[in-house]
Amino acid sequence: MDVMSAVPLVEQLSREMGISTATALFDGPAPRTVDPVLAPMFRRGGLPRGEIVTLTGGQSLSCALATIAVATQEQKWCAGIGLGEPAVSSIADLGVDLDHFVNLVTPAEDWLRVASILIESFDVLVVDPGFLPSAGERARLLAKVRERKISFISLTSMPGSTEQITITDTQWSGMEHGHGRLRSCLVQVRSQTGTHRFLLPGPDGTPVEAPASTSAEGRFERPVIRSVS
Amino acid sequence: MSADLAAGSTEHRRTLVLTVPDWSAVAAATEHDLSPRTPLAVLSAGKVVAANAPARAAGIAVGNNKRAVGYRCPEAQVVAWDEDVDNKHFSAGVGALEELVARFTLLAPGTLAIPLDSLKHGYADEPSAVEALISALVSTTGWEFFPGIADTVFAAVLAAGQARRVEPGETGQFLAAQPISTLEYVGTGATELIDTFTQLGLRTLGDLAALDARDVNSRFGALGKHAHELATGVERTPLKDHVREERLNVELGLDTPTARSDTLGFLTRQLAADLLTKVRRRGLVCTQITIELFAVTGQSSNRTWRIEDMNENTIADRLRWQAEGWLAGGAHSGSAPAKNRSASARRDKEEPAPDQSGPDPEDFSEEGIIALGLVAAELTTPIGATRSLFDENTGQVTHTLERLQGLFGPDSVLVPGLQGGWDPAETNLWTPWQQAASPVRSPGAPWPGALHAPRPTTVERLPIDVLAVGGRSVGARPAGLESAPFTIRFPAGATEEIVDYSGSWPVESGWWDPERATYRTRLQVVTESGRALLLSKENGQWYLTGRYR
Repeated sequence: MDVMSAVPLVEQLSREMGISTATALFDGPAPRTVDPVLAPMFRRGGLPRGEIVTLTGGQSLSCALATIAVATQEQKWCAGIGLGEPAVSSIADLGVDLDHFVNLVTPAEDWLRVASILIESFDVLVVDPGFLPSAGERARLLAKVRERKISFISLTSMPGSTEQITITDTQWSGMEHGHGRLRSCLVQVRSQTGTHRFLLPGPDGTPVEAPASTSAEGRFERPVIRSVS
Repeated sequence: MSADLAAGSTEHRRTLVLTVPDWSAVAAATEHDLSPRTPLAVLSAGKVVAANAPARAAGIAVGNNKRAVGYRCPEAQVVAWDEDVDNKHFSAGVGALEELVARFTLLAPGTLAIPLDSLKHGYADEPSAVEALISALVSTTGWEFFPGIADTVFAAVLAAGQARRVEPGETGQFLAAQPISTLEYVGTGATELIDTFTQLGLRTLGDLAALDARDVNSRFGALGKHAHELATGVERTPLKDHVREERLNVELGLDTPTARSDTLGFLTRQLAADLLTKVRRRGLVCTQITIELFAVTGQSSNRTWRIEDMNENTIADRLRWQAEGWLAGGAHSGSAPAKNRSASARRDKEEPAPDQSGPDPEDFSEEGIIALGLVAAELTTPIGATRSLFDENTGQVTHTLERLQGLFGPDSVLVPGLQGGWDPAETNLWTPWQQAASPVRSPGAPWPGALHAPRPTTVERLPIDVLAVGGRSVGARPAGLESAPFTIRFPAGATEEIVDYSGSWPVESGWWDPERATYRTRLQVVTESGRALLLSKENGQWYLTGRYR
């Protein structure tokens, strides 16, 4: 009898929106691949789908663009809402495929409507919301994000997000009081997985692992010589 | 005869290439109305790329710099190379050829290729065909043409440089004797490859052709494979035929000017149906359309749209958007952008009772659009317009973005692109979805002093004050800043302390043209809150031009 009743339950579960297998029920859809430097920030080593991630603090837009870079290279469509006028050169430097990125210039108060239209066919949204949604609107947004399994990155903190990533410190280097130029930025990130440090942007514009000796900040370009036994 | 024909149709296509020597110089002389006797040199990136015969006689050679030109021939005219000028004059000139031959291809400005089998029926042999063509072209254009005939297009281009005819079957020997530097034909990407080949001791195309194709491919990749194919005389792909320069367009003048989008939409549907019928009758498909609007005041608006499912309704939509955006943004009073937007979003439903749609007044009797024009901007064969199976959900994406464009206007959905320039604001090329991008500055040209990575994430233009310790504005000179910057004052009144700053570097552009000349000084600063900003000083005023976010 117990065995008989288990079968309809499995069937019923498999008909639920977005649940196809038992592992999907426990793990959700597999996260999107991100740059290996950024992967440790995320709980499951990649940009989660069907969830809202908040990314706040200095350099958060660069961090969001660097995060979506691999997805665009895999032909996934990404859109930005409320970002102002991004510099195309820096978007390209961060590794985003320009053929799969769209920037929306719509009134700030309409961001929720724009997002709900884009959710239909896009894979990743990077949003700097013009206002915070009410509890009801938020619940509907969350439901839609979960249903379409899209990755939603918010650049301001939003209740209901599952992962909160905060950039707590940024240290630019390369400018020596009028004798150099910006070369790289060492960022310190706090997320659910702990505290991480890396260069964003690194000397060539892409994220790079932080140099081993943090005391030598500002001299990243010096080659490190290792002895090989 | 039959053997001859078979040989011609299997491997090689005998091709006639006609080239105008020093085309850039010829085009520049036409553009600037110079006499052919004036020595003229065309410069690109500081080097001579073309010189006419009098200049060559004076000793000017390709690759000289500007100073060398001045030494050798002080009276020589020096002109900057302009791709548009090259293309414009050439396509105007080859119009005569459309009457003479059935198929031809423009390889580059100044060079065109004609498959010889298309001339077979009209002329007895190759020399007589060439003679007839050249005399016709020279009499209509007045340019000098060098002909070249060989079994492949590449060989024919080289032969045209020497004005010679390579006998059928001798193309291999002809190519083998050519120096390796002729591979420049492949494009700018080949410069490095040519250097490598030279260092490896491959001095002629024959040396390269003697290598095994597989070895070349594994060592040099696709580019090397292409070079090897050229050197051995293998034709990779047949050339695309020149599409007839038929201007398929329709125009309509309105009896009374109107700014009402329902009227415009109705008229456009009929007009678009006419145009599409014209296009279909020629067995073609139109993938891009240029919409021209003419206002009473004499201004006009011109935009090119790419539409995937081109029909009367989609064209009418684009025209309506364009008209609304133009009338709202232009000098026409009475319709604020926001009002226009809400009107357009609801227009479709309210058509039966237009008078109740409050914000839109009855008519702009003395303002509005007086004439419409539709031009088929890109024509292809039906097979070229079909969507690839491997495009991932572009159809859905297109649908979503078009819906947003319908709601918020065409300029609300922008796709990124890059063009030439020094600062991020100049290299930005945001184009509305489905519109053809039109870069103003060439990305291929050198931009000395362009900003290096890391570049700011967002672009702004906000006038600010940069103050030194005493509260005086910081002045900028080519040699550097007059004093160390200490604080930034934003227009809202907030100030922020500067904790670190870069060296200032001047960017000077357009000094040769007083109208375009700009001089600015660029500076990067980090403020007390840890933010990095890009500043620039122009005409005595500091601007915030970019933020690292």
